[in-house]
Amino acid sequence: MNSFGTFVQLVVDGLAQGSIYAALALAIVLVHQATGLINFAQGGMAVLGSYIGMTVGNLVVPVNLILGVLVGVIVAVAASFAIGAFIERFVMRRFQGGEEDTKVVATIGLLTLITGAIGMIWGFNFIPYPFFFNTSTSFTVAGIAISLWSLTTFLTIVALMAVLQLLFTKTKMGLGLRAVADNPGSSALSGIRVGRMLMVGWGLAAALGTIAGILLAAKAQLNPGNFDAILVYALAAVIIGGLSSPIGAVVAALGIAVLENLAGTFLPWIGHDLKIAVPFVLLFVILLLRPQGLFGRKSVVRV
Amino acid sequence: MITTATGRRMLAFAASAGVVALAITGCGRAEPPAGGNGGGNGGGAAEASPGITDDTLTLGITTPLTGATAGPGNCTADGAIAYFGVRNAEGGIEFGDGKTRTIEIKTYDDEYNPEKSVTNFQQMVSDEVFAGALGLGTPTNRAWRDAAAEEGFPQVLVMTGDPVFSSREDGYLDLGLVPSYQQEGGAFGEALVADGQPHKVAVLFQNDDYGKGYTQGFKDAIEGSDDIEIVKELSYEPTASSLEGQITELQATGADVLFHAVSVTPLAIADLQKVAALGWKPILFLPSNTASPGGILTPAGVTADTFTGVYAAGFAQAAAAPPFAESEAGKAYFAAIEQYVTGHEQDGKAFPHCVWSWTGAQILEEAFKNMEEPTRESFYEALTSISGLETDFTFGPIDTTVEGSPAVQVVELQKFNGNGYANVQVVG
Repeated sequence: MNSFGTFVQLVVDGLAQGSIYAALALAIVLVHQATGLINFAQGGMAVLGSYIGMTVGNLVVPVNLILGVLVGVIVAVAASFAIGAFIERFVMRRFQGGEEDTKVVATIGLLTLITGAIGMIWGFNFIPYPFFFNTSTSFTVAGIAISLWSLTTFLTIVALMAVLQLLFTKTKMGLGLRAVADNPGSSALSGIRVGRMLMVGWGLAAALGTIAGILLAAKAQLNPGNFDAILVYALAAVIIGGLSSPIGAVVAALGIAVLENLAGTFLPWIGHDLKIAVPFVLLFVILLLRPQGLFGRKSVVRV
Repeated sequence: MITTATGRRMLAFAASAGVVALAITGCGRAEPPAGGNGGGNGGGAAEASPGITDDTLTLGITTPLTGATAGPGNCTADGAIAYFGVRNAEGGIEFGDGKTRTIEIKTYDDEYNPEKSVTNFQQMVSDEVFAGALGLGTPTNRAWRDAAAEEGFPQVLVMTGDPVFSSREDGYLDLGLVPSYQQEGGAFGEALVADGQPHKVAVLFQNDDYGKGYTQGFKDAIEGSDDIEIVKELSYEPTASSLEGQITELQATGADVLFHAVSVTPLAIADLQKVAALGWKPILFLPSNTASPGGILTPAGVTADTFTGVYAAGFAQAAAAPPFAESEAGKAYFAAIEQYVTGHEQDGKAFPHCVWSWTGAQILEEAFKNMEEPTRESFYEALTSISGLETDFTFGPIDTTVEGSPAVQVVELQKFNGNGYANVQVVG
């Protein structure tokens, strides 16, 4: 393959990897939009949902693979919504009105707890996740290899992004979610049911994260620590893209992954050992020049 | 008594919760180790070491039971738990001093964290453990090596390819179990040279002792061969979430051999999928811990024809290969795993470490049979004096008397045939 071919291949690889970062980033944006909080347990909750989906799905898979996977996905998403809402209601609600820092630390605690609980129930071995098609399947377009899994993941994420963008900007519920995060007191006074909105926000984010969890597990198998490394990239993407923008988070996540890949290969002084630093250098630069993120709205305080 | 897997998982959960774990370590420290004599050895000459009585010997295993390395980690304990479970049920093992003892195994979770393994060592001392054995991991075993030497505490048959554990003459009561990474990489290098054809090699290695060890062994073996050229070497950090960029870059070199010194399961699977997707059909070399047919190759969709050839260096039969389950020893192995290892995650074949642990237990048994006094020194003496011991699953006899070498030394190159591995001499 010539070096242009390699370049294009690396971009395609980056988009595939970035789709997974993007999926988790979207969930983080969603929770942030709904609660003003960064949820470090988002990856852990996504993995938990995937385990539930796998366990239920595997009951049906022997009868029919496609049906089994479908049941698994539906159960995983539904269970995650319930778990997300439950965690908001019975854990995070206790910190309502407290320090922001306390809430963030609580989510880190949740991550540790959820990972441990998954290990206790399902163990720490890698478990294959049944999927609609064999994730090794790939095809070649003009010499560029594209895996079916990558394409599926990419399209799913773009679709989810569009739905979220519409939700936040065009629907009453989306506006309600944002209002509650922005100013719970005023929202309550204007008739928005704050508690319910918070629960819905957490539930939706958990459900969204679980879709990412399933896509990742379909390729890399299921393990309690699946999202540990990816969470860091997702957070970087969220901050670069802007905490308030689903499109920003997705663009940033894809950009990070592509840039990282290209820098590792074409900048010899960076190489594959240092390429992990690329997104974070970018993060510093963005924070200095545009603290609200590339696509974020500046928060304006009126006096 | 054998600590059960369920018990371990409960502990794992507690550790995750944090507070409880602190309480446990706190309690452990509160009780100082009882001095010197752990068991009343009646009329014997030497005073018995801690952890051995007239009818039991307590063995400690500190290894990752939770976390990313938990799969192989649990296996390092489970093989021995199964093996000694069988022996204990038969009444125990007759030691060299004429007494018959059962073997009690205590497992300690170090989460692949060196700080935890040091704490676990202190815990083993206060729990009156006779010796530590079979633990997995280079950094974790290194972390308590000096402390163990100071205590005169044996740290034996550790599952790391680090040669530092295999000197008999440095005063440390330590010994490695598995062949060094260099030996495995070297076995592939030699077979590639033996092929006599020109080869262009792309190398992908983990940027630590593991990956560098494999690569060094390979380079040493091909040194002086004009036909074999390393066209590109790329490294990665174990925390990376994808190596596809490296694979794409290596494929672009036009190499016909991929030396794949990658130890992380999901990365190894994704890499093989990527190599296949790119339409690249290299001769592949895989390290023994990421070459399992059931754990790696099948999930990656690799068949006998996917690549030009898939090779791995191994020193023991793979439990996942069909002939293993049909052999008498294999049947006994699976029956013992089934009976004595609790917990749904271990089937004894997802990771090779279960078989390695079983092998380690056989070597320990031989040492127990030959130790003439109930002391750690006598045990170490017996352990490092074994030669010609045939075990159930290793490719060659065990010889622990060679200075600088681990207990298992015979490494064979194997080729994947679609179901399992068959031994070969030459690549190609």
